[in-house]
Formats: sequence, structure tokens, C-alpha cells
Amino acid sequence: MKPMLDCDTVMRQLWAYLDQELTEDRMEAIREHLAVCARCFPQLEFERTFLEQLGKLRREHPNPQTLRTRLVAALAAEGFTAF
Amino acid sequence: MADQADKREKDRRFQEAALSCLPDVARFALSLTRDEPDADDLVQETYLRAYRSWDTFEPGTECRAWLFTICRNAFYRMHKREERTVQCDDAELESLAAAAVHSSAEHAGFGDVFARADLHEALEQALNELPDQFREAVVLVDVQDHSYEDAATVIGVPIGTVRSRLYRARRLLQERLLTYAKDAGIAPKEGPSGLERNP
Ligand SMILES: [Zn+2]
Repeated sequence: MKPMLDCDTVMRQLWAYLDQELTEDRMEAIREHLAVCARCFPQLEFERTFLEQLGKLRREHPNPQTLRTRLVAALAAEGFTAF
Repeated sequence: MADQADKREKDRRFQEAALSCLPDVARFALSLTRDEPDADDLVQETYLRAYRSWDTFEPGTECRAWLFTICRNAFYRMHKREERTVQCDDAELESLAAAAVHSSAEHAGFGDVFARADLHEALEQALNELPDQFREAVVLVDVQDHSYEDAATVIGVPIGTVRSRLYRARRLLQERLLTYAKDAGIAPKEGPSGLERNP
């Protein structure tokens, strides 16, 4: 049986874990640790909420069709022909 | 006649690969300029440059990342912003520092501070005030949902650089938000059940 990761290691890699930027083995090891660790779990929730707030800053362009029309016209002046 | 056919083929590939990325590029431009007319100018500049250098695009590589790189470079050029190099610490140490932010927030009764909907504007402002290099890492990874690797390709730096800039930026944002919450008098929830009052 593999030894459990310690809290320090988990805290160091918590963001990479939330971003899913770790190997599958490491993701799994951290998941196991978080499931049982009262110290790291609140930290996980804190970071997760923070990242969710950042994700909400995403804004769609309000008029994509107008922009596209303008763009195609500008490109046409460079020789581009849409079809 | 062959030239005509080549030209048509070029335009067809440009339309398929590049123009189809327009929603992504527009969103990215908007997050860089934060202003719609400026974003439109930036998108146009990006696509004109892309069309002129279409021959240098390597088929099979990711067109979106290529366009983002052009967009980002055009943004710095148009807004005469200098890319300053900011010193970054080790990424994992930034993670640990964020753990310290959490425990101090928890201690002040602000453990759930990021769950508050009214922090949206404060967060946006804090992001806008970050140095460009930090802001773009957050914009690419946290707002636009790119992988570290994609972000590294767009910015043109090693993946480790993206990681340390991103983590530093996140920690700075957290610290600013906490300061904001305290200054704005946002009432903390009950502190950690009387821990501080123990003799
Ligand atoms: Zn732990």
C-alpha cells in the first residue's frame, strides 16, 4: 500500500490539482488525501470558490455577428474572399 | 489560373481555421482591453495580421493559440504597453502562501468570503490592477480556461513561468479581496467557534 501524502505536499499542489494539471496518479493520491483530511479540505473549498469567482469574469462578446461582418469587410480590402 | 486556385484554397483554409475561432478571439480581446470598441479594433488588427502572415501558420498546429499570440502581441503594441519582467517565486511556495491567506481569512471569520456574489466587481478591479504579466496568466487560465501548456504557447514562455505567474497572481488577488472585504465592512460570519478567546 502506498503511504498517504502529507498535508504540506497536498497544499503545495492544491492549485495544480484544481486545474487538473497533475499526473493521474498524483490526482488520485491528492483526491484520497482530501477525502479524509480535515485540514486540507476547507482549504480546497476556499480555493475552489475563489477559482469559480474568477471564472465568472468571462464575458462573451455582445455582438459577434456585427464584428464578423466588419472583419470580413476589412479582410476583403486585403484580398480575402469569403465563400 | 493555378494562382487563382491557390488563392481560393488559401481563403478557404483561412475561413475554416481562423475565422471559426472568432468567438474565442473576441472574448480574449475583450478580456485584454475590457472595452468593447477597443476589443473590436484589436480583433480586426489580429485578423489582418493573421491573414497577411497566413503562410507562416503551420497547418496541424492549433490555430486558436496562434491567433491568441498575435492578439496578445498586437495588444501590447497598440496600447504601447511594455512587457516588464516581474520576478516570480517558486510556484509551490505561492501555493503555500495561499494556504496562509486562507488561514488568516478563516481566523478573521472570512473563511467563506469568496462565496459572496458582491465581490464580483472588486475581483474584476483587482484583476485589472495586476501587472500585465500576472493578469494575462489569470485571463488565459482562469477566465478563458486554457491549460498551462496552451497559455505558455500563447505567451511564449516555459510552462513553469506560467505556473509561477499564475499562482503569484492568484495570491495577490486573494490578498486584495480580503483587504477589500475587511475595508468595506463586509460582516464576517461567526469566527471559528471561540478559538481566539481561549486563554
Ligand atoms: Zn491534509
